[in-house]
This record gives sequence, C-alpha cells and structure tokens, in this order.
Amino acid sequence: MSPSPSRSGAPGAGADLAALLAQVAKGDHAAFAAVYDRVAAPVFGTVRSVVRDPSLSEEVTQEVFVEVWRAASRFDACKGSPMAWVATIAHRRAVDRVRSEQRSAARDRRTAAPLIAYDDVAETVADNLDRERVRRCLGALTDLQREAVTLAYYGGYTYREVAGLLGVPAGTVNTRMRDGLIRLRDCLGASR
Amino acid sequence: MSEWEPEPHTLAGAYAMDALDGPDRARFERHLERCEECTREVAGLHEATARLAAAAAARPPAPLKDSLLAETARTRQLPPVTRGTPQAIARTGPAGRERRLGRFPGWVRAPRLAVALAGVAVLAAVAVWAGGTVGRVPGQPPVSHAVATVLTAPDLTVITGRVRTGGTATVMMSRRERMLVFAAAGLRALPGSRCYELWLMQPGRDRPAGLLPMPSHGMSGPVVASGLRAGDRLGLTVEPATGSPRPTTAMILVLTL
Repeated sequence: MSPSPSRSGAPGAGADLAALLAQVAKGDHAAFAAVYDRVAAPVFGTVRSVVRDPSLSEEVTQEVFVEVWRAASRFDACKGSPMAWVATIAHRRAVDRVRSEQRSAARDRRTAAPLIAYDDVAETVADNLDRERVRRCLGALTDLQREAVTLAYYGGYTYREVAGLLGVPAGTVNTRMRDGLIRLRDCLGASR
Repeated sequence: MSEWEPEPHTLAGAYAMDALDGPDRARFERHLERCEECTREVAGLHEATARLAAAAAARPPAPLKDSLLAETARTRQLPPVTRGTPQAIARTGPAGRERRLGRFPGWVRAPRLAVALAGVAVLAAVAVWAGGTVGRVPGQPPVSHAVATVLTAPDLTVITGRVRTGGTATVMMSRRERMLVFAAAGLRALPGSRCYELWLMQPGRDRPAGLLPMPSHGMSGPVVASGLRAGDRLGLTVEPATGSPRPTTAMILVLTL
C-alpha cells in the first residue's frame, strides 16, 4: 500500500485514476494493481464499516475489486470521478451483502454497531486528511442530518430503519439525508 | 413499505447512500432513467459519499491483494458499451445510468439524417421528461425545464455543425432565454481519461459550459448551457476527464450563435 489514502482528494489524483481505469479496461493487470493500491483503503474501510465482520469484509472487498476489473470499460469519467465510481460499487456491495445476510439469518449483531461506527472509523488510518475535512463538515450539519447520513452510510441502514432508530417520520429522514448530503458536498467542495 | 409513498426525487440522498431497499430502489432507478437532473444530482451526491468513503479508509490485510490479482487473472472483462449493446446488458453498476434516447441504425452513412434525428431524440426525451419531476441541482438549471424552455421559445434557433474529428453537433438555442441545448451524434470515441467539453467563447474569455457524457447508442447529450451573452460562440474541445477551466486543446467545433 504505497500512496496514502488522503491522496484521493488531491487535485490531479482523479485524472490519474481515470487514466489507470482506462488502462484496466484494456486488460492491463499492472494498472489494475495500481488502482488497487490507490483505492483499497477507502474501499476496505467503507466495506468494513458497513459489514463489521472482518473476514466477510475481506470477501466483499475482493468482490468489489473483481467488479472494478470486469466493469472498468463502463466507467465514464465525464459523468463522475473515478473515486466516486469505485466507492459507489463498494458501498452498494457491502450494503447488499449485509441485507441478504440479514434476510437469511435473523441477526441482530449490528444493533449497536452504527452508533459507534463513525468514531470507530476515525481510528482507522492515521494522517488521513479526508477524515479531518469530513469530520469538520459533518460537524457543520444539524444533528438530525448528521445522524441520518452516518447511520445510512457508515451503518448501512435503510432510511426506514434510520427513521425507526431516530424516532422520526420516514419522510423527514429522507429530506434530512438529501439536505445533509448536499451540504456535505458543498462543504467538501466535492462537486466537479 | 406502503404506509408512506415518497416522491421519487426526494429520495436522491437516500439512494446515493444505498438507503433504499428493494422496491424503493427499483422505483427510484426507474425514475432516474427519465430524470436527467436526478441523475445529475445523484452523481453530485456520489462525489460527497466518495469522501465519506475516503474518510473511513482502513488498510486491508496484505494477502488480499494477491488473491484478488489471482482471481482477476482468470476473470473475463465486460466489453465497452457500444451501439449494438442491448440496454439490459449495457446497464451496469449501482447507478444504472444508461439512458435510452433512441436507436438510429445507419446514421454513420447519413449524417444529415442523424442531425435531424438528434433533434428528434431531444424532443422525444423532452416529452418523456415533461412527465418527470424536476429536482434542482444547485447552481445548474434543471435540464428538462431548460430544454422545454428553449424548445417553446418564440426565437428558437437550430444550428448544426460538423465536428472536425468526426460527428455532427446540433444546438437548439433561445437568445431571449439566454440558453442552449447541445447534442451530438457520432463523435469519435475518446480514451477513458478524456472528455468532450463545451465552451461559451468571447474574445479572450472562454467559459466552460459542461462535459458531454459518454455517448449512448452513438448519441451524446443533451447538455444545457445557460447564461448566453451577446456575441458568444460555442466551442468544443477534448479535455482531461475532470474538465478544464480553460480550453487546453484545439477547438474541434466552433459555432457562431
């Protein structure tokens, strides 16, 4: 794992990653290894935050990267950043896995997990500049926006579950999620 | 499910965070297929969630990389989406962002027809969008509303042009509304790290006017540009994927508006 994960937000990093993905689309294994080095930490961290179980997290992370390999030709750099593309695949995979496990085994081991997930997440990688900015921008949200966003993203809960956890109507949770993410996007300067 | 039916466009945040389950997700994805501005909003929100992901970064165990590389070495990749790719197969990834604007076999040999059809495709898209809900992206005009505004403007002007590197461009414009809609057909495919970028140009002052998404079935756009000024010309260049504040390559299309 050479480059630090904080590079994902650096100017120019997105263009490099897009160029690497274009190589991956042509079957370039070395480029794929380079993509892995660049985004494995955000992917694994996100998956683990949702899935919790370490060995299942590794399995899902591997699935995510196989998907990145298979679908590299479908990445459209003109529509969004490569990091957003990869992170979207990772989060979707993690959430889908957790929900299918949930259905097959009535499990409750995650009940308290999301409530600690955000702090927990904060411990994972030292010198993570993204983390500091995200923490600051999350801090600028209203309590309800912040809880809705962190429960959904780091906890992997549906908005109906979030509504239940927070004891507010589903419609309210929805608008808070959207407003919270928009504010987060603007605060992080994350739009392209 | 059911006791409360949300307006689809209010679900963009929940969707971007995968907080929609089964039926809700399917319904929202159907909505996305005909709601250009929702697609754009979700893309913007995904830039934010990517930062949430980066903030959660944690190093995976080292052996994971080796077993992954062994697996990809025996995994066949998906081909790129081309005009021949059926939509159901073309659609990949969580967002499922391919959009059907129309299918026009033979446009390569009939560029004039292609231009006409590009206009028809935009019109058809507008007809679909008119039924969709408008959700605003801050700082950008909602596409369906903008397209409808331009197409119903009394001073609607349609301009077509040939792109130097291949393909044809159609611009529908209203000076009164200071807005234009751009679409193109048959543009040359670009390497993954490059995009077509539109410009509104004044002597010595070029303003970026949007990136064209990868073509679907040979069609690129529509892209809406607002804030037209008197004397503007429209330009098209090839830029790095993240877009440029100023053109960095030669114009491959210049249209006097």
